[in-house]
Amino acid sequence: MSNHRHHKHQSNYDKHAKAGEHSSPAILRFLRKKWRDSWHGNPPGNVLLLFGLSTGLIMSVPIIYVIWQSLFAGVDRWQRLLDDRIPQLLFDTFLLAFAVTVCAVVIGVILAWVVVRTDIPGRKWWQWLLALPLVIPPYVGAMTYIIVFGPSGWARDFWRDTPWLVNVLGDYPINVYSFWGVFFVLTMFTYPYVFLIASASLRKMNRNFEEIARSQGMNTRQIFWKVNLPFLRPAIGAGAILIALYVLSDFGVISMMRYVTFTAAIYFQRASFDIASASILSLVLILLTVVILWIEVKTRKKSKYYQTSNTFKEPDVLSLGKWKIPTLMFVGVIFFVSVVLPIIVLVYWSIIGIGMGALDNRFFGFAWNSLRVSLFASLLCMVLAMPIVYLKSRYPSVISSSIDKLSYAGYALPGVIVALGIIFIFNNHIPTLYNTFYMVAIALVIRFLPQAMQAGEASLSLVSPRIDEAARSLGQPPWKVMFKVILPSILPGVLAGGALVFVSSIKELPATLMLRPPGFDTLAVRVYIEANESLYYLAAPSALLIILVSVIPLRYLLKKY
Amino acid sequence: MKKAIKLLLFTSLLMLFVLVATACDQQDEEEIVVYSSRNERFVQPLLDKFTEETGINVRALHEADALQLREEAGNVQADIFISNDIGALEYLRMEDLLASFDGEGVETIDAQYRADDNSWIALSARSRGFIYNKDMITEEEMPKTMEDLMDPQFEGQFAITRGGNGGMIGNVSALRNEWGDERTAEWIEAIKENAAGIYNGHGDIRQAVGAGEHPFGLVNNYYYHQQLEEPTNNNVGFIYPDQAEGEMGVIANAAGVGLVNGGPNEEDANAFIEWLLLPENQLAFVGESLEIPINPDLDPPYEHAVRFTDLKVQQMPLKDLGIYFEDTKELIEQSGLDLELR
Repeated sequence: MSNHRHHKHQSNYDKHAKAGEHSSPAILRFLRKKWRDSWHGNPPGNVLLLFGLSTGLIMSVPIIYVIWQSLFAGVDRWQRLLDDRIPQLLFDTFLLAFAVTVCAVVIGVILAWVVVRTDIPGRKWWQWLLALPLVIPPYVGAMTYIIVFGPSGWARDFWRDTPWLVNVLGDYPINVYSFWGVFFVLTMFTYPYVFLIASASLRKMNRNFEEIARSQGMNTRQIFWKVNLPFLRPAIGAGAILIALYVLSDFGVISMMRYVTFTAAIYFQRASFDIASASILSLVLILLTVVILWIEVKTRKKSKYYQTSNTFKEPDVLSLGKWKIPTLMFVGVIFFVSVVLPIIVLVYWSIIGIGMGALDNRFFGFAWNSLRVSLFASLLCMVLAMPIVYLKSRYPSVISSSIDKLSYAGYALPGVIVALGIIFIFNNHIPTLYNTFYMVAIALVIRFLPQAMQAGEASLSLVSPRIDEAARSLGQPPWKVMFKVILPSILPGVLAGGALVFVSSIKELPATLMLRPPGFDTLAVRVYIEANESLYYLAAPSALLIILVSVIPLRYLLKKY
Repeated sequence: MKKAIKLLLFTSLLMLFVLVATACDQQDEEEIVVYSSRNERFVQPLLDKFTEETGINVRALHEADALQLREEAGNVQADIFISNDIGALEYLRMEDLLASFDGEGVETIDAQYRADDNSWIALSARSRGFIYNKDMITEEEMPKTMEDLMDPQFEGQFAITRGGNGGMIGNVSALRNEWGDERTAEWIEAIKENAAGIYNGHGDIRQAVGAGEHPFGLVNNYYYHQQLEEPTNNNVGFIYPDQAEGEMGVIANAAGVGLVNGGPNEEDANAFIEWLLLPENQLAFVGESLEIPINPDLDPPYEHAVRFTDLKVQQMPLKDLGIYFEDTKELIEQSGLDLELR
């Protein structure tokens, strides 16, 4: 430690004691005091603050740019879209989000209750089997359902070759390219969010309440409605919001099954280079997302259900009795439809594909592209997440919490909007990076940084601030403390966050699709392209590989809930 | 703690590796950047052939729109634009986004199928027409002109593409040239009203007609060739409309290649076009599309294809499609046919 720094440190303490310098004018002194107050008397070093601030800025700039563009799109365009497209889109989007959310919540809660509270055979297994749809990207699910139930799918062939079906019911009745197709696929691949959250809170539920209810003469059904369900309300709310946000942001399923919500409309407007209209639709979608987030904050504040912890008793397991077979069938059907069938279809087509030489150099090129862009994004996320998390935890203030909130902007909003903003910015202001690998990587960072932040935060909360203080007292600036002292002790958490980002990046479709430079297709993009061309033997191996990679962080995900 | 630091070192090494890896393949070899609006299936084998024979790497962006070149005018990315619409190519030339080409081989293509400065060159032709399912409708019952599609007797009988489809845009541009905007707008309204199905692309239409979902559909002629090649559902026929005395003739369009102005790899881009103009590569350009090569010395890859010289073709020079390129979409949308599926 240099003498000089030592001296500065000393004078710092003096300042504290005398509350301000004498040399500076009053207004500066006032500002400085305000500054210190906003950090609760403990401002972070400049390096750390600058780092955090610029990250927060990068995270939010693309979205601000889109909003800005939409404000200058011209009254005419606004008028035309407001008269015609927007009401229709609002209706279609809302209808889908509502239907999927309700259905997924019902399925998720029933499954959670059955698995946690009843003696269904194989309880332990179902707990994680039913969460498996999480590893299948919904657009892959959509592809498998097009293969099975599409206009030239397996089910159609079976129907056509089965005379009595044709005679009794007429021509093949299923149209997957419809609201019901999209609704079904989205429900089947999003219910695990509710299932996981509801299972966790059912497991924590205290038995005492139920015993009291039972002593008052309530039967199991009444207990479920009057005791269990109210306790589950926060969990259901959280799950429902996750699902609604997902439906708003989904692009793959919707466009593959030819339904149009805001994301698809924005993508198509952009594809025909009507950027102004795309921005306007984006602004409406941003507002829609904000409304949902606002609802979440509102409901979270209102609903607090306290459970006394000192007399906690594990909830008891109910006997299914005569309901055993029907329940098992219900659970089995859901599992079959959301996991087994898609995997069978993918394996079937992968075998055909491998036989036809789908695993050629091109395929490995795509896999390599996926790997390196996701790896780069996840490393970047790990580095960028640290200062934000560290600031928020050790230097709480308005500024650090706004940086934190800004970083969530790209996470909450659909990928198409992030991509739209990034195209604007890079093409107009950063031409050297435009159409490069880095543009895609930055989009992925903006989309998934919060996943790394959450993982880092969880680990950091276990490290005592006393350690930081000890290091600081030895004269190290905050950013050095963070990297040298704190980072090594929370590294496992940071790496877990990186793994999450990695997997999300591999699966990401819309932003990659819109931003990929020429000659840089990824596995996800190929699945989308080949599936749209009905070249399933080429799409299936890529899809299967994505799913295999997605299994990696499943353990972590399951532990989180 | 030591283990953690090792891990950290390892990750930063990995990061360095990724950085190097990405930097490498951007500088090492010669390359060109190709934007293409044609189906990837037709173009990728051609590009692979080029790389194989010349050693020049090709970075391709398929399903690209001509307007992307306009958006990137200040920051040019592409060297070559391959389009299936002459209107788009001529539009780009008019906007100064293409550069003139004076390499060898141009003379194999008739002057009416090239830009005045050869900045774009058309290589394969197609025409509009009706594919029909012979099990559902006879040749006599089929409409014989574009105008016939407006007739209520065909209501619910046929399929069309969405308004934003390249083939449809070219079709409407040609009608505007022939009929003027007012009549064309009426035609769009009428076919939208009469159509039983509106599809994303022509491939969907040929399959739907082949499978018997619609008696007929409005497509490009090579989709008929493609459907004939299918193992099943191939009992289809094709009508070249407007062939009779006093009628306008079949609406034609072509696919071709344009040299982008100010592209990053000018020399190799010129080499690509020269290579492409070799007769064997002109055929490779037609490729699996089963279109008809414009070079009269070449035999169509699909033997039974009707040659353009045997057809009555609309008088309008193909170049003129460029004049209509920008506002045809607007006319289509205003007439009530959505550019995208809803």
